[in-house]
Amino acid sequence: MEPIIKVENLWHTYPTGNITALREVSLNINRGELIGVIGQNGSGKTTLVKHFIGLLKPTRGKVFIDGEDTEPLKVQQLAAKVGYVYQNPNHQLFARTVQEELEFGPNNLGVPKEEVQERVEQAIKFFGLEELRYLHPYRIGFPLRKLVGMATIYTMKPDIFILDEPTTGQDNITTQKVYRLIKKLRDEGATVLCVAHDMILLSEVVDRMLVLRDSEVIMDASPREVFSNNEIMASTHLAPPQITSLSLNLRKNKNKLDDVVLSVDEMLALSKDSNQKEKI
Amino acid sequence: MQGIVIPISMVPGNSAIHRMNPLPKLLWTFGILALSFSTRNIAVLGIAFAIGLLLVFYSRITSAYLRVALILFPISLTLITLQSIAPAFPRPWTTIAAFGPFNIYQEGIYSGISLLLRIMAMTTWAMVTIMTSHPSDIFTSLKKIGMPYVLNFILVMTLQLIPILQNEFGTVLNAQKSRAMKGSGFGAILPSMVPVFVGAIERVQQLSISLESRAFGSTGQKSSFRQVRMAFSDYFVMALGFVTTGLATYWVIIDKSLDWSKSMTFSPIFAVSLVLSATIGFLVFVIFAIRAALSA
Repeated sequence: MEPIIKVENLWHTYPTGNITALREVSLNINRGELIGVIGQNGSGKTTLVKHFIGLLKPTRGKVFIDGEDTEPLKVQQLAAKVGYVYQNPNHQLFARTVQEELEFGPNNLGVPKEEVQERVEQAIKFFGLEELRYLHPYRIGFPLRKLVGMATIYTMKPDIFILDEPTTGQDNITTQKVYRLIKKLRDEGATVLCVAHDMILLSEVVDRMLVLRDSEVIMDASPREVFSNNEIMASTHLAPPQITSLSLNLRKNKNKLDDVVLSVDEMLALSKDSNQKEKI
Repeated sequence: MQGIVIPISMVPGNSAIHRMNPLPKLLWTFGILALSFSTRNIAVLGIAFAIGLLLVFYSRITSAYLRVALILFPISLTLITLQSIAPAFPRPWTTIAAFGPFNIYQEGIYSGISLLLRIMAMTTWAMVTIMTSHPSDIFTSLKKIGMPYVLNFILVMTLQLIPILQNEFGTVLNAQKSRAMKGSGFGAILPSMVPVFVGAIERVQQLSISLESRAFGSTGQKSSFRQVRMAFSDYFVMALGFVTTGLATYWVIIDKSLDWSKSMTFSPIFAVSLVLSATIGFLVFVIFAIRAALSA
């Protein structure tokens, strides 16, 4: 099966300041994968994912989306396949009502009117925006505005979703909605890339993690493998979720626990396992 | 980040003009401003513009300057077209050619050229000052000569907000393109302008809160982390600027022979060619601007 995203020896140098933000990145992402993109600030995470929607073009190398080279394609053309949810929703929202905001993307893509309405209704229901649909986006609080930002891309139904720091500044309720969104997207067969520092979110939802450091992808593995690699975690100034740290410490210091645990649910499940129960 | 960003802010460098204290540069700029508004003489304005260009080349800010000039110059060309058919001069006007249904006037051509040169001279000198001075240095220098703290702060914040808002506009435009927005006409600008303006208002509100919480507006003597000193050469350049621009302004005001609006005659061929070139230049710019917006 051909990967939906294929990156070949990608380099990117910003013209202002002559800063090389990406060097020698090669990777494949298959349809339906949930990918976490992590790394310290300035490591090149956002630069990498902006190539997937054409906001940045490679200085060297190639990026293919669904087999098509992104070089000659405009952002507007790639937007039909790739949805990019900005970290700051204020950059996206402009319409008079939430409803108009949700219609904007699919209308631009030429989706028939009835289907646009259907998608808007689905998004409003899923994100719980019923009471907000006729309000001006700037009259609602930041966490909900961020959900509206995600909903505006959701109505475009792209094959690939890129979420840039989706849970930053969110309370627990909206964070749970983000979790549900990612899981729903997975169920619908979408490919999701999540750029985040929220390790709890990533540990619970993604299948695979790309770790960036100093403009290079230094590790491409499962969350379990990434979190248990102390050297990688230390060199990227990242810390695993507390429950994972606990399991790693139990495993390392007392040589007791067999598995690396990613969530409280997993730890609870282990506690019921007769072989592991005593070790915890 | 890709986007249309015009740098009207400092371009880092190490030329003598960069190293100079901002005060002499500001004095020269205001001197050229006063001189430009005191005369319509094409030669005087042309020399002021040419010296400004030499300073641009010398301080190595050419590419940044050209990015501004490439927008400003074609727009300013409309002055020649409009002035040639409706001069900002007292009547009677001398007709030298017909341009379609319009008459082209001698005074209009002269007025158009002098207004164009005036704008280019003033903006070139202003660009040299802004692009070779750190905003904080301008702030500190103006404070030293007694500029009220609040007024000074407003001026410098305005200078700093311009590049911030330009970057913001680039980001917002990218965000709208990510939602498959087709970039054409006013309908394309609106989705980008609303977030930029709302963002600007929010930014100013946050800034005012942040300033108040950090004792902005408290009475008493203020200290400054950034120290800007005046060297002997700065005093010399300042004195030279004061005397040169002051004397030049005095000269252009009292010497009535510098009014060439009647004595300098233009041939009909030159007049029509100039008006046509200016009009075509502006239209080409508009076409390029629209195409750039569509392909962005």
